[in-house]
Amino acid sequence: MLKVENIQAFYGKIQVLRDVNLDINQGELVALVGANGAGKTTLLNTISGLMPKASGSVKFLEKSIDNLLPSQIVEMGFSHIPEGRKLFSGMSVRENLEMGAYPKRAWKKREETLREIYNLFPILEERSAQFASTLSGGQQQMLAMGRGLMSKPRLCAIDEPSNGLAPMAVLELFKIISSLRDQGVTVLLIEQNVKQTLEIADRAYVLENGRVVLEGSSGELLESDHIRKAYMGL
Amino acid sequence: MIETILNVVVDGLLIGGIYALIAVGLSLQYGVAKVLNIAHGEFIMLGGFITWTSYKVFGINPLLSVAICGPLIFVLGFVLHLALFKRIRMTSETEGAFEGNSMLACFGLMFIIQNVAILIWGAGIKGYSYLGFPVSFGGGAVFPANRLTTLAVAVIICIVFYLFLSRSHMGKGIRAAAQDPDTAQLVGVDINRVLALCFGFGALMAGLAGTLVSMCYKVEPTMGLEYTIIAIIVVVLGGMGSILGSFLGGILLGLIGSLVSHIEPGLTLASFYLIFMILLLVKPTGIFGK
Repeated sequence: MLKVENIQAFYGKIQVLRDVNLDINQGELVALVGANGAGKTTLLNTISGLMPKASGSVKFLEKSIDNLLPSQIVEMGFSHIPEGRKLFSGMSVRENLEMGAYPKRAWKKREETLREIYNLFPILEERSAQFASTLSGGQQQMLAMGRGLMSKPRLCAIDEPSNGLAPMAVLELFKIISSLRDQGVTVLLIEQNVKQTLEIADRAYVLENGRVVLEGSSGELLESDHIRKAYMGL
Repeated sequence: MIETILNVVVDGLLIGGIYALIAVGLSLQYGVAKVLNIAHGEFIMLGGFITWTSYKVFGINPLLSVAICGPLIFVLGFVLHLALFKRIRMTSETEGAFEGNSMLACFGLMFIIQNVAILIWGAGIKGYSYLGFPVSFGGGAVFPANRLTTLAVAVIICIVFYLFLSRSHMGKGIRAAAQDPDTAQLVGVDINRVLALCFGFGALMAGLAGTLVSMCYKVEPTMGLEYTIIAIIVVVLGGMGSILGSFLGGILLGLIGSLVSHIEPGLTLASFYLIFMILLLVKPTGIFGK
């Protein structure tokens, strides 16, 4: 469904991605894990068109998306839920959700989709008239995810959803993320929280210094010595 | 005494409506599209001359030329953004570099538009009289009907635009892009289109302000700069990127100007600069800004 081939990217003269390959099939929950600064967010930004890449190619639904604008990529059904929530703070919860349905294909169905999102995150319905900035961290992340789902994506890339959340909130969030896969949404989950992520993912890629150093099923990776030493402190 | 106060307040509101309109326009161009449009006043001048021409040559009622002037100048601004500022944005390394480069381009634009206007209309002063009859308020205060009309039209345009921003699909996209351009793109907003629209709408507001200005004052090819400066002062006063702030700031500056000119007309512009400098020192985010 998503095929990333030999991506290289730079910030000025510093190379941040080296020959990154990634392959996601329909219906999978694939994780991209790694430490802070490994290049995970940069990789996602080059896929969704926010940041230019030096070389390499990205195919989504068998079509090249290398020269498309972010808005066109969203229109195709790729939803990028950015790191740090990035809510529209001057808008209400409901307006934020409606913004998520901005692509034409989703705009017509926004009332219907809004119902579904409120079922998935009942707290957002209770808070619908409040400004986004008045929500707690966990609720803000739910709003960011709800907004990302309002475009009716086929593939949802979620960047660091657990960042800054209390353990209970992370648990609840990860339950919802794995339920997305069960509802047929393909998920790319980007995380630093390696153990919990591998517990819900089907497969994972491990990114270190801009390079994929390991890939495999979550079960294999949970057993790997490198993962246990470097990321779980075992 | 009451008559004097009424005079000063109504006079301030009348000019404040036009200030508000041009400041909302500049706020869209600078706050959202990040183009500090030094040529903003030239679009006002164009609006004034188009209205003058359509009245004097074709006999079209100045109020109706809102429907001619608006679309014409909107298209001019929209195309100008796609042809010029979009390219500068793509070749500028950083946002700061873009602001500098686009401002320099606007400087050039200012002279080009002025010279084209001189070629078409000549360097002289043009004017016409329209709705010049007086309307009296209680207490002996009397105002010309054309100025009252300009205030009403300016307020209507601002309200219509406010509803457009808060209700329509495109308006929501503009608001999202104003708050966070990257995230707006991630929810599907075509940023190039929104920036061009904002520049176009900014030009449109200036053009309509030009129509209104021409109903009360003379127009000439070099009239723009004073309005540009006022618009910049109001945008800073109202808080960068805040449409409502620009509107309120425009009205406020109109009132201040009216009060100062009642005391000493020669000091009006100087008082604006003084407010501008104090504001930059004390509260650079503007009085209505966060």
